[in-house]
Amino acid sequence: MIPLSAFLVFSAMLFCIGLYGVLTRRSAIVTLMSIDIMLNAANINFVAFSAYSSPFELSGQVFTVLSIVIAAAETAVGLAIMLAVYRLKGRMNVRLLKELKW
Amino acid sequence: MWVEWAWLIPVFPLVAFPLILFFGKKIPKGGGLLAIVAVALSFILSLLVLVDVTQGNLPAAASGAEGEGGGEGVAVYESSMTWAGVPGMKSPLEVGVQIDHLTCLMLIVVSLISLLIVIFSIGYMAHEEAKPRYYAEISLFIGVMLGLVVANNFLLLFIFWELVGLCSYLLIGFWYKKPEAAAAAKKAFLVTRVGDILFLVGIIAIYNSFGTLNFQDIQEQIKAALAGNALDVGALTTMALLVFGGAVGKSAQFPLHVWLPDAMEGPTTVSALIHAATMVNAGVYLVARSYFLFEHAPDALLTVAWIGGVTAFMAASMAMVQHDIKRVLAYSTVSQLGYMMLALGVGGYSASMFHLQNHAFFKALMFLAAASIIHSMNTNDMRQMGGLRKKMKLTYITMTVGVIAITGVLPLSGFWSKDEIIVTVFHSGNLPLLFLAVLTAFFTAFYMFRLWYLTFAGEPRSDEAGHAHESPYIMTAPLIILAGFAATTGFIGTPWWPRFQEFVRWGEHGEAGFDLVSAGLMGLSVGVAVVGLYLAYVLYSRKSASPDDYISAGAWRSIHKLVTEKYYLDHLYLAFANKVIYGFSRLSDWFDIKVIDGAVNGISNGAVGSGERWKRLVSGNVQHYAVGIVIGMCLLLLLMAYALPALSGLLGDWPGLSNWHWWEGWGW
Repeated sequence: MIPLSAFLVFSAMLFCIGLYGVLTRRSAIVTLMSIDIMLNAANINFVAFSAYSSPFELSGQVFTVLSIVIAAAETAVGLAIMLAVYRLKGRMNVRLLKELKW
Repeated sequence: MWVEWAWLIPVFPLVAFPLILFFGKKIPKGGGLLAIVAVALSFILSLLVLVDVTQGNLPAAASGAEGEGGGEGVAVYESSMTWAGVPGMKSPLEVGVQIDHLTCLMLIVVSLISLLIVIFSIGYMAHEEAKPRYYAEISLFIGVMLGLVVANNFLLLFIFWELVGLCSYLLIGFWYKKPEAAAAAKKAFLVTRVGDILFLVGIIAIYNSFGTLNFQDIQEQIKAALAGNALDVGALTTMALLVFGGAVGKSAQFPLHVWLPDAMEGPTTVSALIHAATMVNAGVYLVARSYFLFEHAPDALLTVAWIGGVTAFMAASMAMVQHDIKRVLAYSTVSQLGYMMLALGVGGYSASMFHLQNHAFFKALMFLAAASIIHSMNTNDMRQMGGLRKKMKLTYITMTVGVIAITGVLPLSGFWSKDEIIVTVFHSGNLPLLFLAVLTAFFTAFYMFRLWYLTFAGEPRSDEAGHAHESPYIMTAPLIILAGFAATTGFIGTPWWPRFQEFVRWGEHGEAGFDLVSAGLMGLSVGVAVVGLYLAYVLYSRKSASPDDYISAGAWRSIHKLVTEKYYLDHLYLAFANKVIYGFSRLSDWFDIKVIDGAVNGISNGAVGSGERWKRLVSGNVQHYAVGIVIGMCLLLLLMAYALPALSGLLGDWPGLSNWHWWEGWGW
């Protein structure tokens, strides 16, 4: 049986890849994708813990489905904002949103 | 018993003041008529009060202490009411009137001369635009001066004293559009203010040591202390000198005399009022009124005498080189006031008051005569005048009376009082002061006849002088009346019939008697007057010697320069103001800007500056925020991993995590 730590290491790697993408890439699309990667890392954790702690309850899987739905909604909203930014600025760069700071 | 209505005397002009101010345009002569009526009422009431006092017709209940030192057997009428007081005060502040012989004298002098000056003003100010303002301020001035005279305590006197200062400011700066007039008004106000401060400090000192400000009460206390041999002469001297400081400012004594000559920028009638009847007399009156402070303080008296003597001499010397007719009269006023102070300082109380009265008449006369000349010539410069004796007969005759009166030639008024002062100084045994007094008499004769020759004698020296014309009767009539008084008021105080000295006296009996010494001094004072007259005649009428010959070279030149530059006192004050006061102001300014403003600005700059720094954190870049989140989360993790277990000893079992190890139980 694959030990839990293998899943956790994998999800940590996924999370770090996503984090790296969020922190470094300027394109809004890539940022949204990276955020999804981070969410998925969390989802893997959910499933892994669920499978190891209470294999017959599926509570982690349910959480994961919920999380995926919410991630979809979040991506939709994010894309909508980015579309608006694109219409305004002609580019899709998260650094263009500096005006919102005040 | 008119004396009970004495409080009304200052009220008439004071009521006229707002009426003229607001409705002056609707009153005939721009409010002048109302001013005349008000002052005339005051004068009539003053006369009635005088009659009451001379006949001893005072209310029995209210007649005050039959004083010993304050003039033996002189009845004093006093009536007052409480104005304000708080528990713990030694005595409440009061307002009230005090009528004694000195008050009567001042009331008559002030109201009569003011009345004549206001009548004169109708003619003099006929072409003036702002007549209501003029008459309103004149009424206020006369009212507060009368109030100052009847006040029964130092505080009330001080209030009127300050109001007199205010009125002088308003009237000297009457033509406020002229920069010189505005500057002169400010100068008069500020210079007299120096004295006023001293006076105020003196009043506080008096209240501290006597517990009252009432003249009569203080006098009683001093008498009691004297009887009990418990008089603190040092404290008394201090108080007397502080009060005298006020008088120095108001009466334009050295070294605060500098405001008076500049005050000539006002209308000439105002000069007459300030310099003859009201303001400058206030200082002499103050010393006379508080003479109970001075009489037992020899040092204070000596100071008064010396200040008076030096003032008389300096002012007379400066009067000799002026070309402006009003300035000659101004310095002459300062000089004569110095005489009065000198007399007070050597104990010549009645002589001083006698001179005050005579001087008021002849100086008012001369100022009004000068006003009459200025009215027809439109210039003050005596070099432009000359030959006016034919053009302005009445002015010429009345002015001549005034000139003879002030120089002290028999038998006009100035002779009697000036002679009495010189005799008193002689009896005091102070020879330097006697020398100053006699020298001043000589100077006085010289500058007065210089004025007389330059103005009236010879031929006209300008077109204006050639076309000069006599002033209307409304102006010449007061001149004639004043000339009558200037000629005759001396007779009520001759050594053979000292009616005046018996009326206004301060425990001095038989001193002013007539003997060989006073006859000699009389001869001396007339002699120096005649010498002065002759010198003026030689220099300005016969012209066998020109004054320019003397002032062009040698020691005379430097003396002339010293005198024309007013002994460099104005320079000194200006330098003092420029260097010391301005330096201190700049220091204060620096302190204000650098330290006080610096603290305030520093705090705000610190806030703004730190905000500038901190705001870089809020870059608006989402990714920066994300980094922040990541770092924060890492810190939280570290906290949970290491800090919380380390703290568990301190916190006990508080979050319930002491035995929780996150890395355990995961099946590593």
